[in-house]
This record gives sequence, structure tokens and C-alpha cells, in this order.
Amino acid sequence: MIRVAHVTKYRGRQAVLKDVSFEIPAGASLALIGPGGCGKTLLTKIIGGLVRPDQGEVWVDGQEITRLSEIELTRVRFKIGMLFQNYALFDFMDVGDNIAFPLRQEGKLDEEEIASQVEAILKEVDLPGIERLQVNELSGGMKRRVTFARAVIRRPPILVYDDPTAGLDPVTSSKIFILLDRLQRQGATTSITISHDLVGLRSICTKWAMLVAGEVVFFGTSEEIERSPTKVVRQFWMGESDEV
Amino acid sequence: MTGVGADRSSGSTGSTGEGERADRPSRIADILASVGAPVFYVLSTVGDVFKTFGLAVYYTFRGKKRWDEVINQCYQIGNRSLVFITVVMAFLGMILIFQSGLQVKRITGDFSQMGAVYLPLLIRQFSPIIGALMIATRVGTGIAAEIGSMVVTEQVDALRMNATQPVKYLIVPRFIAGIFMTLVLVVYSTLVSFLAGMLTAHVYFEVPYDTFWDISLVRWADLLIGVTKTLCFGMAIPVVSGQAGLAAFGGSEGVGWATTAAVVNSSLAVIMLDFVVGGVGFMVFPTN
Ligand SMILES: Nc1ncnc2c1ncn2[C@@H]1O[C@H](COP(=O)(O)OP(=O)(O)OP(=O)(O)O)[C@@H](O)[C@H]1O
Ligand SMILES: [Mg+2]
Repeated sequence: MIRVAHVTKYRGRQAVLKDVSFEIPAGASLALIGPGGCGKTLLTKIIGGLVRPDQGEVWVDGQEITRLSEIELTRVRFKIGMLFQNYALFDFMDVGDNIAFPLRQEGKLDEEEIASQVEAILKEVDLPGIERLQVNELSGGMKRRVTFARAVIRRPPILVYDDPTAGLDPVTSSKIFILLDRLQRQGATTSITISHDLVGLRSICTKWAMLVAGEVVFFGTSEEIERSPTKVVRQFWMGESDEV
Repeated sequence: MTGVGADRSSGSTGSTGEGERADRPSRIADILASVGAPVFYVLSTVGDVFKTFGLAVYYTFRGKKRWDEVINQCYQIGNRSLVFITVVMAFLGMILIFQSGLQVKRITGDFSQMGAVYLPLLIRQFSPIIGALMIATRVGTGIAAEIGSMVVTEQVDALRMNATQPVKYLIVPRFIAGIFMTLVLVVYSTLVSFLAGMLTAHVYFEVPYDTFWDISLVRWADLLIGVTKTLCFGMAIPVVSGQAGLAAFGGSEGVGWATTAAVVNSSLAVIMLDFVVGGVGFMVFPTN
């Protein structure tokens, strides 16, 4: 479903992604982990076609996307829902219009259906009836859930969640992970989840990839990562550090 | 498993990045790079502006327009620049008529042609360019700041992920509104400046209002050139400023750069277009 092959990206002369390769089969859910600044967000942007890699290929649903034009990319992007780490909510719209935006752009539903879907998803993320609030009136955690709602409302076959539970309390976090899990099962979606919440990730993800300084240091299943002999992986998994 | 390699992870910082790209950094390459970078920047900006312009024109005639946003933008443009334009154009009218009045007084003392000469000058040259330069500073910065901050907060990425073209969604409404409102504001500028000049002429040089109000010297060519210039400026400002906004990167500093680029580039565009349209106009309609 998603295949990343030898993707390299430079920032100036420094490579921020180095020869990254992996494959996510259809219906699988990948946990993408790694220390801050290792290139997780950048990699998801490359998969969404938002950033072009300097080398390598990216296949999404059987199509190579790194050489497509913006217009050709629109068809690929309709298959992807993306939750942005920095919310990326439209600040010139209220909450309802933000969440409805993907549906309106798709243009399949009438306004009445859109409104009822927005209402339903807001209930699911525990924020019922806030459609008419402005984005700047929301707290960080509320924004996170609104971005989540916007990412999933179209039920796209591919979902990319960049830190879906950052800044959420433990109860809301686990609720989001339950929602992720349900979406995964219902829609047979292929997903990538970036998070530092390893417990939450373990409950939903079947595959794991770990990036360190732009390089894949681990790719495999949950069992494999638990037993990984690699030091950085083990330390990350156990939450240990070198220093005392 | 794909792409693993236990030993690569440790000590991967540092050395790996350099070896691949900058093999032999020489003085000549450095010099070429420092000369080349700005040239490349200018060329690619010009290229991007033309690409944005092409897309804006394309989407103006193709696909659904956000007419409510067009109206909103018209209001924004008017609202942002009306007071500014009124003040500047009134002062410009007063200064020009006062100064030229002093000269006329010294030389011929015949004020009868003052308004008649002033009006075509205003229509063909002064109000389009001064009006457009003011719109560039007032409206261009606004466009670049809005779009630029949407870029750095990833709202533009969110638009793109929802299969929306930023040019179509953000620039086209401003493009349509820009063309229309620039025309309106330039006509308004002409009026304000002419009336201010008329008042000045009356107060300082006792020129009767109906003597000053003389449209006999305005040719169709003047109107045509004035309107053509205005339309070109109206198209250029939103496109150039919008492109500056879309090219923003980094944080709020990037937005600052984008707004600066918007004023500088759209002012340059206005002046160059003025020169080109003026030149072509002069060749097509000679005299004076
Ligand atoms: N478009 C781009 N082109 C080149 N480099 C980029 C680009 N965007 C980001 N980077 C660089 O990629 C590196 C990794 O950033 P990224 O945001 O992907 O980290 P991250 O793994 O998501 O970190 P965090 O866990 O803190 O969110 C940074 O050094 C950044 O400067
Ligand atoms: Mg990130």
C-alpha cells in the first residue's frame, strides 16, 4: 500500500533523511517512533507529496508520487487523511467548517449530511456542539481532537497521524487510541502513527519503524522490537538513557 | 526486515552527511555559488510569479469560484486602503497644483489650462501608479502576511492534503477582487486628486471651479492607457504578493520576509509594467 524506497532528503548539505526504505502492506498500521528531530514528520510529508525527496521513490496505492505534479497529486491525496503535529487548523474558519472542509472539497455529500457527520464526529471526540467556536478559542487538547476529526471525517483508506495524543490527558489519549483502533478495523485502513506514547501505540500498531537521525534503525513487528538487540532501539523502548 | 543495520545507528551523527554532497569545495565554486544564489533566487522568483499568474488566470476562468470570498476580499481591499488613498491623493493633488501654479504665475499667469492639462496627466500616469503603489504597500503586505502565516502554520499543507490548490483557493479570490478594486480605487484616486487640485487652484490662484473642471484635453487614448495600466497593476499586486506569501518558510520571521518581499516585488512590478504599458501606449498613440 505504501512503499518508501531509498528516500533521502537534504537540508542544505546535511542529510535529514538517509536512504529510508520500508513497506507497509494494505491494512497494516505502522508505528513510527524515534527521538525528536529524527525526521518523522518530514517523512510523513514526503509520503503525502507535500515535500519532494531529493532521492528515492514513494509508492502510494501502487502509484509512484515523487514526480507527480500538484494536480496529479490531488487524486492520491484524496486517499490520505493527515493529522498534523502543529494542528494546521484553518484559522479563518470555525470548528465546524474546519471539520467539514475535506467533505466539502470532495463534494459528494449535501450540506445536511455534512452537518450531521460533523456533529457525530465531534461527539466521538468528546467535544459535542462546538461547531461554531473559532479555532483560537480552543485549548491545545481541543485543537488536537478537532484536527483528528478533520483527518478522519472522510474515512480515507490511508491515515497519517502525527502525534495524535500530544498534550492530551491520559483518559482522552486512550480514548483517541481506541478511536484509532476502531477506525483501523472498520475501514481496513492503512495507517502511520507517530507518537511517543509507546503503550498507546502497542495497542493499535502491528508494525514498527524507528528512525534515528534520519536513518531507519528498526523495522519489524511488535515482538521483534521488544527483543531487538540494537542498543538505541532497546533504550528507546525501555525509556533508558546513557547518562546517569 | 528492511533497511536495518544495528551498527549504523550509533555514531551516525557528524561524518556521514558531508561526504556525500560537498566533495571538493573549491574557492571558485564558492564564488560561483555566492554570485549564483541571488541570481538563481531572482530568476526562480520571476518564474514562480509567472507560474502563479498563469494558474490564477486559468482558475479564474475554470472551476467554481468562491464568490463570497471575492466579495470579502473586495471589502478588505477597500477597507484597508480607502483612508490612506484619500489622504495621499488629496495631498498629491494639492502639491502638484500648488507647485505648478507657482510656475504658471511666474511665466504666463494664465491659469485657464491648468485643470485641462492636469486631468489627462492624472488619468494616464499619476493616479494609476500612485494608487497602485499605495495598494501594493497596503494590500500587498496584507495578502503576503495572511498567506505567509498560513504557510508557516501548515494550513497551506492542510489545504493541499485536502486536494485543494493554494493558488485556486487563496490567490484567485484576491486576484479577481484585486483587479476590480484597483480599478475602483484608481478612479476614486483620480477624482480625489482632481478635486483637491481644483480646491487648491481656487484658494491660492483664484481659478474658478468651472474653468478648472475642463475635460477637453482628455483623449480616448489617455483613458485606454490609464485603464490598461490599472488592470495590469490590479493583476500584478495580488499575484506577486500571493506568491511571496506562498514562498514563505520558517516561522514568523519568514512571514516578515514575505511581507517585505511582497511590497518590494509588487512595487517593482508596478513600475516596470507602467514603463512597458506607457511605452507601448506612446508608440500606438503618439503626440504630446
Ligand atoms: N522541507 C524540508 N526540507 C528539508 N529538511 C526539512 C524539511 N522539513 C523539515 N526538515 C528538517 O528535518 C529534520 C527533522 O524534522 P521533523 O520535524 O521531521 O522531526 P520529527 O522527527 O518530527 O521531530 P518531533 O518528534 O520533535 O516532532 C529537521 O532538522 C528539519 O529541519
Ligand atoms: Mg514531528
